[in-house]
Amino acid sequence: MAESPIVELQNVSLRYRLARQKVPSFKEFIIHAATGGLSYTDLWALSDIDLTIERGEVLGVVGRNGAGKSTLSKVISGVLKPTKGARHVRGKVSPILELGTGFDPELTGIENVYLNALLRGHRRTAIDVKLDSIVEFSGLKDFVHSPVRNYSTGMVARLGFAVATAWKPDVLVLDEVLSVGDASFLGRCHERIRSFCNGGTTVLIVSHSPQEILTHCSRSIWLQEGRIVMEGSPRDVLGAYATAAGDTDTQALLQATAPPAETPSVESSAPEAPTAATA
Amino acid sequence: MRELFHYQDLIWDLVARELKVRYRRSVLGFAWSMLQPLMTMGVLMVVFSTIFKFDVKNYPVFALAGILFWNFFQQSIVTSMNSLKSVAYILQKLPVPMVVFPIATIISGIVHLLFAMVPMLLVLLITGHKIGPSLLFLPVSILIAAIFTLGAGLLLAPLAVLFSDVIELVGVGLTLLFYLTPIIYPISIVLGHRFYPIVHYNPTRSILEVFRDPIYFAKVPPLQHISLSVFLAVGLLLIGIWVFRRFADRIPFYL
Repeated sequence: MAESPIVELQNVSLRYRLARQKVPSFKEFIIHAATGGLSYTDLWALSDIDLTIERGEVLGVVGRNGAGKSTLSKVISGVLKPTKGARHVRGKVSPILELGTGFDPELTGIENVYLNALLRGHRRTAIDVKLDSIVEFSGLKDFVHSPVRNYSTGMVARLGFAVATAWKPDVLVLDEVLSVGDASFLGRCHERIRSFCNGGTTVLIVSHSPQEILTHCSRSIWLQEGRIVMEGSPRDVLGAYATAAGDTDTQALLQATAPPAETPSVESSAPEAPTAATA
Repeated sequence: MRELFHYQDLIWDLVARELKVRYRRSVLGFAWSMLQPLMTMGVLMVVFSTIFKFDVKNYPVFALAGILFWNFFQQSIVTSMNSLKSVAYILQKLPVPMVVFPIATIISGIVHLLFAMVPMLLVLLITGHKIGPSLLFLPVSILIAAIFTLGAGLLLAPLAVLFSDVIELVGVGLTLLFYLTPIIYPISIVLGHRFYPIVHYNPTRSILEVFRDPIYFAKVPPLQHISLSVFLAVGLLLIGIWVFRRFADRIPFYL
């Protein structure tokens, strides 16, 4: 019997419901409910997403701003529950959703390491053991003793990545986190991601960097207006996405890195005609 | 439930954090938790033993025991309601079981209450109040009060996120409840008044009396009072859990 996939989204839709009325107060809720005047603007950030990710797979998500990429990572992480459909994640998820990933600016780096790891469900003793290696990986040295509000964006990202990846998760969700580090830190991140993958961890990478998707991902999806418009090899998806967006840099990158003597694969489902191709 | 066990270290960390914040900002620090109820007691003593006259033996002990209970109840509810809003930056980025935040609030409320019990014991000694083994029943009373308060906190915390004016509404409601509970007056003075049934059947009164009886009357409350208060506390907790679970999924959208 085949092992069930580690991440399974069935028909997942997610709605942001924005009340048209101004203050969402209880008083007004009662008034509007009584007069039947409650109205909302519905925004479907995700529509009918069917997605299966197998163990050890590295899935890259591409798409324009507002396409639903971050919402998708929040749903997979379990931060947001889908409005419709089912989400099954069979294992421990470690998300890094946005920079800082829940750091308290008033606490020092060390204190935030503890708080963050506790919030991720780790025991205090387990954190004691890992503390040194987390600090070392972050490369922050003595800075870990000063409050996080004094950190640069890059430093916050380093510490965030170090905590979130100190334990090998079953699913690692990376939403635009690798875009701010310097080269040497990125190298270490990539190394760690690779070792996780070899160890069977599933990784979801949301990125605007085609290089990153190409380097890591075994498969890629393209999101547009909350729907998966294409699924296939990173090379194919990036190619189609770049063509639609008129992104010549990515096309050049794909050309430059193209493996020799490869016939262009056409198996993957062609995207629906993109509605907004002007970038 | 199993999940909570998993996050126990987080809960203790949140409790320590909350207590630190509570005491760090004031010069007197921990002493405040003991002084504040004493000062309220002093005011009440002056007001009710000179201006209005209650026929209550050793009124300071009566009032102080009631105030300790009420402070715990009221402060825990208000803090619970803010507990989710104040960690919005976490709830939007990490999948944490949200219930840990109100739970940590109640636990730190208990710690705060225990500190405030110290001066109460002094008042008992100074006023020569009868001190009996009934005081050993207090942990049970506190547990019942904590379950009741957690229920109220779980019920109100999600509503406070969804509707911005709930905190104010509850503030007014709590003031009303304070006067409808025989905390600073003996229930006998409302006897025959048309408000009497409200005060009499007020669930908070049962919880209060199970806490106050072992202190003020130096006796363990009658079994039917205990069972009634347990029933009320567990009932409110179940309602709280139900409401919390019902709205929990929507909370991250409203923070």
